[in-house]
Amino acid sequence: MLSFIIKRLISGLTVLFFISIITFFVLRWMPGDPATLSLGTEGTPEKIAELQEVMGLNLPWYQQYYHWIQDLFSGDWGSSYVFGEDVMTLIIQRLPVTLLLAAVSMVIVIPFAFIIGIMSALFKERWVDYIARSLMQLGDAVPQFWLALIFLVFFASKLGWFPVAGYVGFDDGILASIHSVLLPAIVLAIGQVGPLIRIIRSSMLSSLEQDYMLMTQVNGLPKTLAIVKYALRGASIAPLTIIGMQLANMLAGAILVENIFALPGIGRLLLMTVEQRDLILLQGMVIFVTSAVVLVNILTDICYRLANPMIRFGGNHE
Amino acid sequence: MMEKLLQLEKVSIDDGLGRALIKNASLTIFQGEFIGIVGESGSGKTLTVKSALDLLPDHLVITSGVRQLLGKELNGLSSKDKRRLIGAGIGFVPQNTVVFLHPMIKIKYQMIDAYLYHIDNDKKQALKKASDLLEKVGIKEPKRVLNAYPKQLSGGMQQRVNIAMALMTDPKLIVADEPTTALDTVVQRQVMELFNQLNQSEGVSILFISHDLKIVKQFCQRMYVMYQGEIVESGETHEIFTNPKHSYTQKLLSLIPTLTNLSMDKFG
Repeated sequence: MLSFIIKRLISGLTVLFFISIITFFVLRWMPGDPATLSLGTEGTPEKIAELQEVMGLNLPWYQQYYHWIQDLFSGDWGSSYVFGEDVMTLIIQRLPVTLLLAAVSMVIVIPFAFIIGIMSALFKERWVDYIARSLMQLGDAVPQFWLALIFLVFFASKLGWFPVAGYVGFDDGILASIHSVLLPAIVLAIGQVGPLIRIIRSSMLSSLEQDYMLMTQVNGLPKTLAIVKYALRGASIAPLTIIGMQLANMLAGAILVENIFALPGIGRLLLMTVEQRDLILLQGMVIFVTSAVVLVNILTDICYRLANPMIRFGGNHE
Repeated sequence: MMEKLLQLEKVSIDDGLGRALIKNASLTIFQGEFIGIVGESGSGKTLTVKSALDLLPDHLVITSGVRQLLGKELNGLSSKDKRRLIGAGIGFVPQNTVVFLHPMIKIKYQMIDAYLYHIDNDKKQALKKASDLLEKVGIKEPKRVLNAYPKQLSGGMQQRVNIAMALMTDPKLIVADEPTTALDTVVQRQVMELFNQLNQSEGVSILFISHDLKIVKQFCQRMYVMYQGEIVESGETHEIFTNPKHSYTQKLLSLIPTLTNLSMDKFG
């Protein structure tokens, strides 16, 4: 297991290395250099040249890259020209909002997808299954931005069940905080639930057809025990990988949802950063987001191995 | 009179589209018997037995006939009663050893379920019984096997686990569906000896499905021969082997390789 974790960490770091190179070059090749942007209307050629000197933009690219990576590791991610604050501070400020949004959304998605997926498999080709599959199609087909707006108008504005915009911090109580992200979390969940239901349904169907289910019949075990202990256990592996991927997807979903609901999270920050062409902040955020995705993937792989004795004892699957 | 454990009377099964798979199969097993069902692949052996244990896939239909298990008519029972009757009264040893055990659940948690549900909801007792039975089927380190996942065991070990598992509820009848197919000859012999011992010393009836005529000849007192969904011949094993009546049985028996015809083939 330890050697597996080390291997995964090494491959994760390799991915991050390539991402850092790509980020570095793409952002440097974009028209308009950081010094000019940073000074804005006050920029005279002399001042720009001076700032370029200070920012190290005159150095050869490999030295610039080296300094940047060195700073990343020492925790100095630079400071944003737009906000005038440390990149790290900005990210840490916004992070709880996005994490809470993703967590609440997952708490909705996972039980819902398991219940619907299992029911749909157990009652295959019956009305429960038809309804579940239609809902799945609908969830996939409805654009999230549209759904977000409809929900906003109906549940927040008309019925007043939720705040129309904004985020309530943990200081005002965890429940108030959750309540403030609940509607966006539901929107995010609807977009994510379809693929998970589908994979749970198909894993469950294949598990129900396995011969070990015949043994539960021969042993005269009650249906619920057979389904929960045997069928579900056999069907739990594939959904686990999908859940990992969906956590990563949620970051993308968060950009849209946070903007519509005016939540001050990572997604909103990312969009503002791109709009304002805040290059230092942008490269910091790209590194941060990709690291998060790589980390989630490594954790998923570890969970996958822990949950699956076939791989743990299978030998040559590393 | 000896107790009838299993009886099929003129059972016919079709595939739901009107095509007959089993035609008028009748079969009886008394207490203490060791019975064989032989026939080539696809002759309907497994299907016939599955119908007796109410294990047919949903799309197959029993069109006629009576099925009795441990003195009870299956059609008259609720599905819960059927489950209890079969789960507690019959042990089943499957053919394919790998997939019948759940690959992701430790052996001990699979072995004790039927005991906990049908006999006594005492986990400690159940585990002790499982351990004793594993020892009985010739496993030297029952503790290790109980804590293992199926993949950590060899094919022969898995089949022993299957047999021990079938014995957890002290069944009167064990149905073994080609239980030695995937095993090498040494393990095959050990497994058959085990069935024989259960039959001889504990009076457990065995219904043994096989296409290996030599094994059937050696162990079974009575046998049924199946061909294209029908039972074409039945009777005492030695009687059928010495005096086969049906042309299919005659053909089947002539295919058994013996030392004499092997050497004749070789030396012409």
